[in-house]
Amino acid sequence: MCRQSLMTRMSLILLAVLGVIITACGGASSSGSGSSGSTQVAAVIKGLDNPFFQAMQRGIQDEARTVGVSVTVQAATSITDTTGQADKLQALAGQNYGCYIVNPISGTNLVQALAPVSQAGKPIINIDNPISAQAAQAAGIKISTYIGTDNISAGHQAANEMAKLLPTGGKVALIGGIAGDVTSQQRLQGFSQGIPATIQIVQTVAADWDRQKALTAAGDILRAHPDLKGFFVANDDMALGVVRAIADAGKQGQVKVVSVDGIQDALKSIQAGQLSATVSQYPYTIGAMGVEACKAALAGKTLPAKVTAPVLVVTSDNVAQALASFPKPFSSYVDPFQDLLK
Amino acid sequence: MEQSNTPVTALPAQAERLSWRERLSDPEFWINWTAVIALAVLVIIFGIASPAFLSFGNIRAVLVAAALLVILTVGQTFVILTGGIDLSLASTMTWAGVVLGQVVAHGGPIGLACLLAIIAGLLVGLINGLLVAWGRIPDFIATLGTLSAASGAALIFSNGEPVTIVSTFLLQLATGSLGPLPYFVLIALLVVLLGHFLLFYTRFGTHLLATGGDAEAARAMGIRTAGIKLAAYLLAGGLAGLAAILFTARIGAAEPAVDTSYLLNSVAAVVLGGVSLFGGRGTIAGPAAGALLLTVLVNGLTLLGLSQFYQPVVVGLAVVLAALLVRYWR
Repeated sequence: MCRQSLMTRMSLILLAVLGVIITACGGASSSGSGSSGSTQVAAVIKGLDNPFFQAMQRGIQDEARTVGVSVTVQAATSITDTTGQADKLQALAGQNYGCYIVNPISGTNLVQALAPVSQAGKPIINIDNPISAQAAQAAGIKISTYIGTDNISAGHQAANEMAKLLPTGGKVALIGGIAGDVTSQQRLQGFSQGIPATIQIVQTVAADWDRQKALTAAGDILRAHPDLKGFFVANDDMALGVVRAIADAGKQGQVKVVSVDGIQDALKSIQAGQLSATVSQYPYTIGAMGVEACKAALAGKTLPAKVTAPVLVVTSDNVAQALASFPKPFSSYVDPFQDLLK
Repeated sequence: MEQSNTPVTALPAQAERLSWRERLSDPEFWINWTAVIALAVLVIIFGIASPAFLSFGNIRAVLVAAALLVILTVGQTFVILTGGIDLSLASTMTWAGVVLGQVVAHGGPIGLACLLAIIAGLLVGLINGLLVAWGRIPDFIATLGTLSAASGAALIFSNGEPVTIVSTFLLQLATGSLGPLPYFVLIALLVVLLGHFLLFYTRFGTHLLATGGDAEAARAMGIRTAGIKLAAYLLAGGLAGLAAILFTARIGAAEPAVDTSYLLNSVAAVVLGGVSLFGGRGTIAGPAAGALLLTVLVNGLTLLGLSQFYQPVVVGLAVVLAALLVRYWR
């Protein structure tokens, strides 16, 4: 009997410790719940294990501070955490936020969690990855605005850069993300449409957004086509693998690499003379524009249905400038929300 | 965990004869109810820390979010009660979801797609059961093999591409409710009740606990332990198929990528639920409460605005603390 009561006491202590940890953790990072409701902004984005989404989070937080709204940012734990992301959104949807910024993992995974938000008439700002229009319609969701990169145009700009790098033309290979991925497809499509007739595409492979897989694939392609002049790669992470494969083959400088994204490591690689160019997206700006859109929507303004986020081509000519202003764009861009907020 | 090898089956009928005082002093009681008590404590803490936590909308959201894990956990519990473990659970769910998606993509009716999803789950369960019961391969290895094979099959069948499913039936399933009870919660509740009934009120349940407690002795008593093990894996596979339907309904698409957190969380929930990992002892309600606990933890931390980097740490702490409690009570 005595042993049991000791155990009981011990267990209560353990539970109390757990409770203190939880409340302490929660208190340390209080950015959301609590104070008066309707001007608060909730944002649910993709996993913070990727620098792209970390930059997006910073953009959201910095802009919220600038325009004076309070924001709570929650993120998925990984790129496969589709239901976890929906759970988090649902938890926030039950609270009194005035506006929701969402970057869904897939076109549909947040649709049913968004249904009550839309029914309550709250604005939904969709950033980066678009929500499937078909699914949104079936669930009766109204998206206030979409802010994201035009990936076809990004591929097009990469093609123009490749044309400049290879004035006499030649053979190039394309390395995409996961087969069937819309973003990857659009970038490759834009590139294929944009290149001049002198440049021929000899091969297209899917490297699953994985640096290691891209490295292996690029090595194989270089052996199969010894006269290859360039690679177009669908994101920077894979491009860094391709750059490595070119160095391993002893062809540094002879084979050009152009990619899309503009992560810091890629900019550094350009500075070091390895990567030729990247079409830089600005997740920081996408996040910031999301907050501006929320602020405008809360002020009762009508938002444009679709806003294209800025992309800029970074080469060895302007890389110093790009690195200096990272994660913000190094030149001005069109921002319709700025006008709405005036 | 030192324990006797005799199958201790604390049948509710026996337990009811004991007085409250006797029950409270029985360590088995505390082990079985760890998750429920911890859950109650958490609800109180979060209720005080966040005013939104106990709102109707949030409670509903938590229960809906927990439904999937509860269903998978019940399947995992049956396998662990036989002394095994099903590592293929999350992959099986993904594979069954892909089967559902492909049937719909090829113009099949949604009813048939759901049926085939469950059959796809049962198929993996059958393979697991045959490998373990008749192939005499350790559970860990057999299901590790099917974990990989099922995730590969999902990629092959889907060609690595997610299939968007816009079905009014699935959307209704995900968002609709019967009175105040969302369909997801209703299904999970039914699974728990049926699981509880199967384990404690049928001969199959008693044989299952006996098999997990001491397979040798069970065989000597004439219990067909191989058949029992096969049945447990079939149950787990079938429930993974059912979970796949809910999963697809929730995210509106059949995704070929496996979310392994479901596997780890199902095992964690079973541990929280006081089930012995050596088999033969445990309940269904305990692990179900464990699954709910894990979901409540993430929900509460999200409401409090705790960074997602810290959330897994707190979840890990909770699981280890629960295991420690069980350890010291034994």
